[in-house]
Amino acid sequence: MRGRGTGLTLALPGLLVLLGVVGLPLLYAFRLSLSDYTFLKREAAFVGLGRYLEAFQDPYFLHALGLTALYVAITVGLSLALGLLLAVLLHQRLPLKGFHYFAVSLPMLIAPVGVGLIWKMILHPELGILAYLFGGRDFLGNPGSALLTLALVDAWQQVSFTALVLLAGLRNLPREPLEAAYVDGASPWQAFWRVTFPLLLPVFWILVVLQTVAEIRTYDLVYVLTRGGPGSATDLVSYYIYRKAFLGLDLSGASAMGYLLLLLTLILVGLYYRGLTRA
Amino acid sequence: MKRIFAVLVVLLGLALAQGVVLRALMEDVPETRIIEELLPRFEKETGIRVEFEKVQYAAMHDKLVAQLLAPQSGYDFLQVDFLWAGEFPAAGWLEPLEPYLKASGFDLSPYYPSMLDLVGYYQGTLYMIPMYSYAMGLLYRKDLLARKDLQDRHRTQFKKPLALPKTLEEYVNLSLFMARNAGVAGAAMQGQRGDPNFMEFSNYLFAAGGDYLDKNGRVILNSSQGEKALSLYARNIRQGAQKGALNANLDDTFRVMCQGGAFSMITYWWMLPQLDDAKQCPKAAGRVALSPAPGGAGVNGGWGWAIPKNSANKEAAWRFISWVESKAIVKERTLKGHAPTRKDAFRDPEVLKKYPYYKEAERIIAGAKKVPIFAYTAEMEDVVGREISLAASGQKVIKQALQDADKGLEGLLRKAGLLR
Repeated sequence: MRGRGTGLTLALPGLLVLLGVVGLPLLYAFRLSLSDYTFLKREAAFVGLGRYLEAFQDPYFLHALGLTALYVAITVGLSLALGLLLAVLLHQRLPLKGFHYFAVSLPMLIAPVGVGLIWKMILHPELGILAYLFGGRDFLGNPGSALLTLALVDAWQQVSFTALVLLAGLRNLPREPLEAAYVDGASPWQAFWRVTFPLLLPVFWILVVLQTVAEIRTYDLVYVLTRGGPGSATDLVSYYIYRKAFLGLDLSGASAMGYLLLLLTLILVGLYYRGLTRA
Repeated sequence: MKRIFAVLVVLLGLALAQGVVLRALMEDVPETRIIEELLPRFEKETGIRVEFEKVQYAAMHDKLVAQLLAPQSGYDFLQVDFLWAGEFPAAGWLEPLEPYLKASGFDLSPYYPSMLDLVGYYQGTLYMIPMYSYAMGLLYRKDLLARKDLQDRHRTQFKKPLALPKTLEEYVNLSLFMARNAGVAGAAMQGQRGDPNFMEFSNYLFAAGGDYLDKNGRVILNSSQGEKALSLYARNIRQGAQKGALNANLDDTFRVMCQGGAFSMITYWWMLPQLDDAKQCPKAAGRVALSPAPGGAGVNGGWGWAIPKNSANKEAAWRFISWVESKAIVKERTLKGHAPTRKDAFRDPEVLKKYPYYKEAERIIAGAKKVPIFAYTAEMEDVVGREISLAASGQKVIKQALQDADKGLEGLLRKAGLLR
């Protein structure tokens, strides 16, 4: 009991800081979302759930939500699939392992804005190497390919994180079940899917949660590469909410949309955790 | 001990009296550096020190709003883009400047009425002093217009000489002609959604005889002129512009023009000296010229000086603004490459000798038209820009995009309390 008290005392400063920097802004944003506060109308009135209802009636917000769902599915799926492939490769006996680790970690070390600027030049329809290789194709200026291109750039950066986490998971797996599978005559393919992957599943689910949360918040790449265009082909929800707040000066409406997004994220994370506990 | 204390108090008092420090958030561009070079002289004359915090344009609005909402602003005077020239006064964040003008005898008559209308008055009250002009005009390659083979081909195809366009149709036709025959794009276009395409399209709208609002403040974007402007804009971006124009911004169009990759661009007039610089753009320097946008009236753009209501040093801030906008200092700034807003700077013989094209620039500024300036101008750019982009990329038919842009703008005016 005494030990528990000491633990709580020691944790208290940290908890207070957390409450201050996370809890209070969240509470303040919630209060705003129930009002009609804007930068131009600071004497706000209580409007209940009015701003939430407005968000559901805003076709561009709903469009941004749908687009974000697609974007998250592509980026999370790709970064996990490629990350798994890279992790398995790095787990083999390879020459120049240090170099491979460095190369794989590199994208993760670059700030998203930097990634955006690098890819902006690579994809530039007149100056970019990729456009040159694909006959001057305008990847970002074409509404049919802009979202996929954005997702591929994002996945390129995220894959280094997923690969390293999965590699750490692979390294910590017990060897005995795998050896037993081989003794029983399993092929490497069968051993991987029937033994290694199920054992890796908890790490995999954690990554699904982390990546989903990160991708829902994607803002920087949209800002640098497309500004939501062409048209509204890459108008992801975080960028939409940002514009609502700082171009529309509508902080209460943006807070309501932010809370809706938070709610959706929490539901998703809850579902994933269910998967995780089962795994 | 007492004596030392007394000396310290006196020194502190002197330091406080002399040591007014004015702080301002400025865009990190050559214009700011030009002013910065002159600041030691202001300090010598007045004892007031001025410090600039320089950031990229994209970071300015959010930083300014945070300070303007605070009980006391960290910035004593402001550099206000015309996009915020409705929002800041509407929010009650700016100090009316007429009392300062009266007290100091500052003369507004040298300023172009178009600039005072844009970054001076808001609903009849003076909140800003025009600081910098970036009205839009037509930049074109005079060497291509003078090429014999192109002249002959143009005469054969259109039965008229190759010349500068007077109307929007003529401009788009010329752009398409150059794209087909001159081995360059007809126009370097900034079709990226938001500020780039909104500003560019507005020139097309004005050139076609259209506008956003009528004299009574009603939205008239969805008109036959608007339809003509958007159709020609979409046609030019698809057939006449450089590759990737739908996602291009100002930097991209500059690069294309600088590398000699386009015949023309509708852009800010200060782009000319940048492109005419042989070190920076050897393929364009000496071959580019400036004229007013087709139709005669391009979009007006500019910055203004203002004092926040929550500034702690309003008097000193006004002293700086009236100094930096004085005739002599504006001339000095102009000779270093500044884009002025005062007529006397444009007509100064020394300035004209150094920059002969300032004569054209003056015509552009004097004839420029403004887009609606109100509390939600920035959001208007986003809403209308989205519809322009949807139409230009073929995701929406012209008529529908115009209807939606019209509806969006009406909603914003209503939100601002300007429509019932």
